Amino acid sequence: MSETKTVRITIDGRSIDAPVGQTVLEAARQHNIDIPSLCYHPGVEAFGACRLCVVEIRKHNWTPDWKQLVTSCLFPVEEGLIVETRSPEVMENRKVVLDLQLARVPNSDVIRQLAAEYGIHDTSYEKREDADDCIMCGLCVRVCDAIGAHAISTLSRGPEKYVDVPNKDACIGCLACALTCPTNAIEYIEEGNMRTIWDKTFEVVLDPVNKKPIATPEQIAHFSKQSGLPEDYFTKSDATRKKETAASFARVMFD
Amino acid sequence: MAKRLFVTPYRCTDCKNCEVACSFVHTKDPRHPALTRVRAYTLKNEVKSVVLCLQCEEAACQMVCPTGALERNPETGAIERTDKCILCKMCTVACPFGNIHFDEQYEEIVKCDTCGGDPACAKVCPTGALVWADEPIPDHKVEEQVEVKPLPWAMTMPAK
Repeated sequence: MSETKTVRITIDGRSIDAPVGQTVLEAARQHNIDIPSLCYHPGVEAFGACRLCVVEIRKHNWTPDWKQLVTSCLFPVEEGLIVETRSPEVMENRKVVLDLQLARVPNSDVIRQLAAEYGIHDTSYEKREDADDCIMCGLCVRVCDAIGAHAISTLSRGPEKYVDVPNKDACIGCLACALTCPTNAIEYIEEGNMRTIWDKTFEVVLDPVNKKPIATPEQIAHFSKQSGLPEDYFTKSDATRKKETAASFARVMFD
Repeated sequence: MAKRLFVTPYRCTDCKNCEVACSFVHTKDPRHPALTRVRAYTLKNEVKSVVLCLQCEEAACQMVCPTGALERNPETGAIERTDKCILCKMCTVACPFGNIHFDEQYEEIVKCDTCGGDPACAKVCPTGALVWADEPIPDHKVEEQVEVKPLPWAMTMPAK
């Protein structure tokens, strides 16, 4: 059996063995060292968009006064790496990032709370007019790509950049983007058997017994095709299935 | 052979100790037995049974997961939900046994992870309907092998 190769790094003075290929953020979180982040999600490719996970690094062969600020979600571990997660430069950098985010999304509770933790209660920049809660981190885009729907995309550039669904047919209405969004910026409505997200309305398949919504027909078709499971796997809710399992357990035992 | 959870439905009294223990162990909040991974049922004609994840060899939940977030723990053999989950919730629909759920309060997918190889539900089951062992306990040995411990948070204990 081949052992995974590890390297020794130092995070905040703690010596840590991290497997090759891991990023600094992953190594730190694995050892319960807190690095704040918004756009990072372990299930999808890292993006380095929110700039909140910046850390200060030094390498063993650098002269002592050399250091660099990097996004820990993208920076791979290497032998002898020295990482500081809360140095004055890092804290200053995070404050600027949060100050700017607060100007972009002044109504977001998540950002307001995070900024307050860093001592910022009001932005020193001009607030965006008619601001929504989107911080342009692109997590919804990556989540949608991971699902395989490829519906969400960032459009336009620079200050005009925004997130939308250019091709409404591609959206399968699974709500994963809305549920993973770090600032809950994606709005959706669920009423009875109707589900509306990205200005598209879906008629949700209901459970035959308890009439609770299961999934949209588009979602069922997509996941059935992708996983190779037949579509009749996707016809009932977990509650109904569990009750059926109980009944079949009992039948096996009592008959 | 690693230890497994054995379910013997006719020993189940639907006392729901397992549900309380499960939700407490996983959420540290005893007030939400609805968040349990194991469920006891009283079916029609008063038949009772307990249901929990079967840790399938070829699991539908794993097959449908787009990010590979459901990983089998090599030590316990249990399929565990990792933090790669992006909440598409398709595993909850795909499981043919209904043993994986979306928890609306904590906004996460919950499933049985056999408590990392020491399941709380089996520990509190007073009748031997749920047993964590190498092999099933035969009926005539239940009384001597199953230990009944009162729960610190239980309100009632079933009569013996």
